[in-house]
Amino acid sequence: MSKPIQNALGLSTLVAMLVALFMVFEWVPTEAEQGIVQRIFYFHVPCAWVAFASFGLVAVAGIFYLWLGGQIWDDLGHAAVEVGMLFCTLVLITGSLWAKPIWGTWWTWDSRLTTTFVLWLMYGGYLILRATAEDTPQVSKFAAVIGIVAALDVPVVIVSVRLWRTIHPAVLVTRQGGHGLEDPRMVATLLVSIAAFTLLFAWLLMLRFAELRMRTRLGALAREIALIRFRAGAA
Amino acid sequence: MAGYAAIVKKDLMLEVRGGRITTVLVSLALLVLVVLVFAFDRAVAQGPDTAAGALWIALVFAGMLGATRVVLSEQENGCLRALLLSPLDRATIYAAKLTASFGFMVGAAIAATILAMLFFNLEFSMSLAALMLVLILGALGFSALATLLAVIAARARGGELLLPLLIVPLFVPALIAGVKASAAVLSGAALATSRDWVGILIAFDVLFVTAGYLLFEHVVGEE
Amino acid sequence: MEHFGYLFAAYSVIFVAIFLYVGFIWRRQSALEAELRSLERRLAALGGSTGEKESSAHSPS
Repeated sequence: MSKPIQNALGLSTLVAMLVALFMVFEWVPTEAEQGIVQRIFYFHVPCAWVAFASFGLVAVAGIFYLWLGGQIWDDLGHAAVEVGMLFCTLVLITGSLWAKPIWGTWWTWDSRLTTTFVLWLMYGGYLILRATAEDTPQVSKFAAVIGIVAALDVPVVIVSVRLWRTIHPAVLVTRQGGHGLEDPRMVATLLVSIAAFTLLFAWLLMLRFAELRMRTRLGALAREIALIRFRAGAA
Repeated sequence: MAGYAAIVKKDLMLEVRGGRITTVLVSLALLVLVVLVFAFDRAVAQGPDTAAGALWIALVFAGMLGATRVVLSEQENGCLRALLLSPLDRATIYAAKLTASFGFMVGAAIAATILAMLFFNLEFSMSLAALMLVLILGALGFSALATLLAVIAARARGGELLLPLLIVPLFVPALIAGVKASAAVLSGAALATSRDWVGILIAFDVLFVTAGYLLFEHVVGEE
Repeated sequence: MEHFGYLFAAYSVIFVAIFLYVGFIWRRQSALEAELRSLERRLAALGGSTGEKESSAHSPS
């Protein structure tokens, strides 16, 4: 039923992505201090935005699931956490690839890196619960509860990690590169990339969500058939 | 309130008669500290920073084990089902289980503190009360989370690893704050110098005791 | 063109990951769709026959 919307979204994602790629590699000027690696930033930041947005969505879906019930909320939360983990992983990898030439190390316990990593661990635990437990309404409730608890934790994590790093300043983080976008074209490129990734996020979420909905329907149909068979046998 | 008191009294009586959980937690704290003493170089394994880290490692492991035991003791023989069938409010059951886990964790914290002071050659002159306050705040937040998540881990049949996987990342902010505040206190600084850290601990406790209290009914619901 | 490798690696990782994810979902989706079709057909077939059986089983009582 939502196939046309899905395809339209996919197509606009493709177009936006191509425009963003063109801007990143052809249009935007190279940053003076960091050179060409700074261009990672244009896709790194949108990944982070998408990851945060999906984790927020997980909590919202969890609240609605506990409040109203309905498999649809559970499927939404499930889809969101998966897409969020995908982008959270990409944030960590691309960040690492940027940090190596600029900071001289793959990893440092900088406040942003640490926060992202802790989020990655939190939602990884949630995904493992989803993967190991069978699909029952009870497990859906567990997942909703963990999604809410994790979202509540996010602000505390941000505050504590920031405080942790300011008390222990890392020598490496002296050059806070990548944030002074002095050229307006850089800002434009970033904004277009963010828009492209938002579309991508919506599309991926929709794809995964549609698959989970199908799975739910499949389960319902199988149950119905079993019931009819059972009744036929009893009769 | 009477129901809460009854459950807590039952847990306390079981423990006074058997003493199983306390024995396990204190021995676990001892083992963790022993491992750390040998794992670190002798020159490093001294001083407030290492001691604070060691204390919190012991606390986290004891907390996980304690909460699991407290929840499993109800799970055995369908006790939890009986509790749920009783007219008690779910939130009351949560408060009672939280009290039990918290009590065990504080016991483990006291034992671990005494052992750590001996093992890491610390001065007894620093303020023990301040250290205990920090540990108690950490234990409260941890058991608030652990009580909620131990039920999930026990009922989701995800295996023993599920509880640590869920709780350790969630506990990170309190862990950072607790270790920092403990290290400061152990090195002789006044508690007022780590006001920010204590603030984070208190915020963490308030947040997750409330969240656990409100969400527990969804976790122990019908099969 | 200093550090081009890092830039290339970062963008490749992003696109490889997304393409793999979409590919997996697409494959599972088409498998699910086929399964759904067959179940729907079976249900339609079963629904017809059991409907009659049920009515005949109920009428004597």
